Amino acid sequence: MNYWKEFSKGLLSDNPVLVMLLGMCSVLAVSTSVINALGMGFAATFVLVMANIVISSIRKIVPSNIRIPVYIVVIAGFVTIIELIMKAYVPDLYTSLGIFIPLIVVNCIILGRAEAFASKNGIIASLFDGLGMGLGYTIALCALAFFREVIGAGKLMGISLFGANFQPALIMILPPGAFITLGCMLAFLNKMQEKKAS
Amino acid sequence: MREAIKLGFFLLITCALVGLGVSYTNALTAPIIAESEKLVQEQGLMEVYSDAEEIKDETEKYLSSEDSVLKQVNVAYKAGKPVGVIYTVESKGYGGSIKTLVGFDIVSCTITNIKILSHTETPGLGAQATEPWFAERFQGKSATADLEVVKQTPQDGNEVQAITAATVTSKAVTLGINEARNHFQVNFIEAF
Repeated sequence: MNYWKEFSKGLLSDNPVLVMLLGMCSVLAVSTSVINALGMGFAATFVLVMANIVISSIRKIVPSNIRIPVYIVVIAGFVTIIELIMKAYVPDLYTSLGIFIPLIVVNCIILGRAEAFASKNGIIASLFDGLGMGLGYTIALCALAFFREVIGAGKLMGISLFGANFQPALIMILPPGAFITLGCMLAFLNKMQEKKAS
Repeated sequence: MREAIKLGFFLLITCALVGLGVSYTNALTAPIIAESEKLVQEQGLMEVYSDAEEIKDETEKYLSSEDSVLKQVNVAYKAGKPVGVIYTVESKGYGGSIKTLVGFDIVSCTITNIKILSHTETPGLGAQATEPWFAERFQGKSATADLEVVKQTPQDGNEVQAITAATVTSKAVTLGINEARNHFQVNFIEAF
């Protein structure tokens, strides 16, 4: 079993956001600033890794006809834990992410990895799979947020970049900007892949 | 039948274990969360009315429970005497309700400061209401007459300039402040 392969596939070749287009709801909503993207990425990675470990370790004893409810309960448990931790230690971030933290429960990346990978593979492989997928999600989210925050608000990590005279393109911060940026990123990546293949 | 009981039992065990983990985390974080929430609120109150020795929540004394805009009344005391009042108001903005703190000084009968606690306004437009320059437009305004939102530079003492391209938000914040101002004038200025 090649752990590096399990880890690295989530970063680019099987990236959950840019290649599999999973979990779009939270991606489009929280990518308005890089700080939000980092916070959301970290929370999702934590849940992904922990859920993958637990689900992989109980994969042989879970009766197959109730596996989905069992996975959901495990995932919901970890989401609540990270929610409480964020509320206690990073309340500002928690307020700005708002409803999207509890909504990690229904993020299809996490259930997708549980069903497609953790329920069929060993604990350590699942750990690396979760870590890679989580990091891939975070990277995609941060890249999206980088363009949206710089163009749409003239800021990076909350720091103004261009001075007071800069007129930001508000559309980039609003929902349409998320679609436009994501579309451009996907087109660019597809073009790169095409070049590689030919 | 046997199978159903077995499956149900398995789910029960899973839920119990997860519940145990969650309640353990809750027990660890609950005091920290309560403390940080209290701190945030106290800091907000101090920001809106800084010259106080003690701030008491007197909502029950001044408000009936079905008031739609005014949510909380905090009275600021100095040397045992009330010197200021801080209201929490909730008004309807462009994207949802806007929660605002507004402070009044009893002696000078003016607005000391305002602070937006929470909102769901459009980023880059209405969300600018949280910027300090918007709060500055209210500071020092007299609490004897209703404030009016204008789009140009204010001429009159009771005029407040709206945020460009966010008139609805500016009006919503001002509406909340006017409700508080009215209540303040009736209960704290005319009563004394």
